[in-house]
Amino acid sequence: MDFTLTAEEEGFAEGVRRFLRDHPPERFPIDGMDAGYGSGAHSRAFLQALAGQGWLAMCWPKAHGGEARPMFFKLVLMEEMARAGAPFGPLAGCWQTADAIIGFGTERLRREVLPEIARGEATFWQGYSEPDAGSDLLALKTQARRDGDHWVIRGHKIWSSHAGISRYGLVFARTSHQARRSRGFSMFVVPNRTPGMDIRPIRSLTGEVYHYEVFLDDVRVPENLMLGPEGEGFLALLNGLDADRFWGRFYKAPALERVLHQLVDYANATVVRGGPLARDAAVRRRLAEMAADIAALRLMFYRAACLLRDGGPVTYETAVAKVMADETGQKLARLGMDLLGLWGPLREGSRWAKLGGQISRVYLTSLGHTIAGGTAEILRTAVAVRGLGLPAEPKGR
Amino acid sequence: MDFRPSPAQRLLVSTARDFLQHHCPIELVQRLVLDERGFDEALWRSMAELGWPGLLIPSALGGSGGSLVDVVLLVEEMGRACLPGPFVTSAVAATAVLLAAASKAQQKRLLPALAAGERIATLALVEESASFDPGAVALECDAPGRVTGRKLFVKDAHVADDLIVLVRGPGDLSLVLLPADRTGIVRLPLDTASGERLFEVTFDGVEVRADDLLGPAGRGRELLAPALRAGALARTAEMVGAAQRVLELAVEHAKTRVQGGRPIGGYQAIQHACADLVRDVDASRGLLYAAAWKVAEGDSAEADVAMAKAYASEACLRVARRGHQIFGAISYCEEHPLHLFHERIQAASLDFGDAGLQLETVARALGLA
Ligand SMILES: Cc1cc2nc3c(=O)[nH]c(=O)nc-3n(C[C@H](O)[C@H](O)[C@H](O)COP(=O)(O)OP(=O)(O)OC[C@H]3O[C@@H](n4cnc5c(N)ncnc54)[C@H](O)[C@@H]3O)c2cc1C
Repeated sequence: MDFTLTAEEEGFAEGVRRFLRDHPPERFPIDGMDAGYGSGAHSRAFLQALAGQGWLAMCWPKAHGGEARPMFFKLVLMEEMARAGAPFGPLAGCWQTADAIIGFGTERLRREVLPEIARGEATFWQGYSEPDAGSDLLALKTQARRDGDHWVIRGHKIWSSHAGISRYGLVFARTSHQARRSRGFSMFVVPNRTPGMDIRPIRSLTGEVYHYEVFLDDVRVPENLMLGPEGEGFLALLNGLDADRFWGRFYKAPALERVLHQLVDYANATVVRGGPLARDAAVRRRLAEMAADIAALRLMFYRAACLLRDGGPVTYETAVAKVMADETGQKLARLGMDLLGLWGPLREGSRWAKLGGQISRVYLTSLGHTIAGGTAEILRTAVAVRGLGLPAEPKGR
Repeated sequence: MDFRPSPAQRLLVSTARDFLQHHCPIELVQRLVLDERGFDEALWRSMAELGWPGLLIPSALGGSGGSLVDVVLLVEEMGRACLPGPFVTSAVAATAVLLAAASKAQQKRLLPALAAGERIATLALVEESASFDPGAVALECDAPGRVTGRKLFVKDAHVADDLIVLVRGPGDLSLVLLPADRTGIVRLPLDTASGERLFEVTFDGVEVRADDLLGPAGRGRELLAPALRAGALARTAEMVGAAQRVLELAVEHAKTRVQGGRPIGGYQAIQHACADLVRDVDASRGLLYAAAWKVAEGDSAEADVAMAKAYASEACLRVARRGHQIFGAISYCEEHPLHLFHERIQAASLDFGDAGLQLETVARALGLA
């Protein structure tokens, strides 16, 4: 056993902290909403600053322009950025797309898109969900039909996060009808400005724009923008979703720790009934309990990380960790609103807003987390069936 | 970062699992819970042959010089088997006190016998405040002098040869070591729902000699601290092991119990409950290992230990309660093993500081005023 970072990892962490001190995160312009996962807002400028350090491609193989650093460097980078509240929103999606391209992308994707990722220019939206295909993703209706050396995509995607401000969409579509329900799907990397694409914003409960719906009206995509083998997209996607759960939530624990410390400061500084709120026995206990929850969460992710690093079988670990991350975040948000009381709903910029008016945002955005990327229900079922070997419930059709 | 036990530790775990499967089947646990003495001499002796009571004791004193991580891994297996008896009390907590506080001469006299399982020691800490907070101790005693009063919740006092007693002396708290049979000491059993053997120990003008002191007078608080942490970690390991077993039993039941034409594990309500058991056990184990590792590396890791114990107390009890729900009525029977694991978790959650006390430690570490 060993619960520390290696000297090399520690040295890198120190470098990241120095970078964040020299480039205060709040100074970077923001292009898109912070959805509360812990990775902050969408900021292309910040992404490009990371690119300037060579950190976006650092773990790619040398043949693809990387430095072949071990995966833990990515974890260290994310953890430090989350602790500092940096706006690295699209990073996890960039890295996953890059891994897929390196793994099974076409020559064109490797030549054109990888360098754009390394430079911090390309970000991606995920076009999976549709109005009638949420948890039951395979119910999707978007179709791609072959036309010479192109595919022509027709359909309607929804809940595509940051679609309007990304450079490419990862569009999941049916490319053939086959007996097996999970076969016949493929993934396309579709440039946002491709004719036939209509990307419309959806306002979120915080009042900001985060989601988009995307209408694809005979969008022509060259065949070398297909990501992965034709018809096998679903299997690739499943692996991708597993990784998504891990990389999309790894930084939640340090981000929650940051919020927890804000609440501790608030409890120390706020006087109720003649004494600090921090002296209230229930408040102390709930904050301490949250600290333990967050510490446990962090270790769940590091354990999954070790399994991923060591190539061990990962059956349920990322799914459990994701659900735990999202529910721990909701619990903290609820505690925060409780401590703030009447001040809680006062928004950023309002007179009298406490803690920068951020806690109500944390609270509202946390609601989406147990829905996005596989609902808590779907994931619990996956843990039970894949992880514990319980029999699957009969399908509805 | 590496969560894997070393090869030697894996061997310790597999030996323990194997041994306990054969020598501590659940029927034995059932019998011992109902038995008045609740202690199996033969089982204790075989454990001693494996060297377990000496795990924490340096080899020069007859032990094997293991680390707290080794202890935690072993006790996790004990929890999994619901092994009853004084192991944690004697071989972990009392041993840790002696290692921290006893003189060379005292160590020479006691530790080899403890390592061989020939002596058993227990801790008499808690009083009517029912708190493991040393600050709550009121029992007054000078050494040399006489002591009159009582301690409560003293575990396994009936089989103990030695009592390590926390007393309030001149200055501050002190630790004294008294033979359990010294004149004026009476051990009165408390009847528990948990199957744990807990005692009220009364002292009636009991003589305390100068050489009964463990460490300098007035230093009891700091000398006891590492033992409280070791005890808390060991009882956390017991909870994690017991909860792991509840998880395994519940999943097995969910696969085999058929209702409505299919195994109940095919219903999402049961599946989701099982998924939560996995989360609770895994998360408890992560905190446990990390805290034990830090302590073994020489860090006092006060807040880590406190978090591990507090978290596991909640999480493992949740596992036990949901276990009953998954089993249904059958688990309501005395004959069914589930309540044994549940009661063990309950008892362990209270020993060496309950969640409330641990969370106060965490609250201070967080910087709460
Ligand atoms: C913040 C956020 C960001 C998102 N970003 C993206 C994105 O970038 N790209 C994208 O493609 N999608 C995105 N989504 C959509 C997301 O993937 C879907 O919302 C999700 O898969 C659930 O689908 P749904 O909302 O249609 O709910 P439904 O599937 O209709 O589910 C509604 C409820 O029914 C339950 N339920 C459904 N089926 C079952 C079942 N078989 N067993 C038990 N319970 C069931 C669900 O758990 C849920 O509680 C995002 C969503 C959110 C909230």
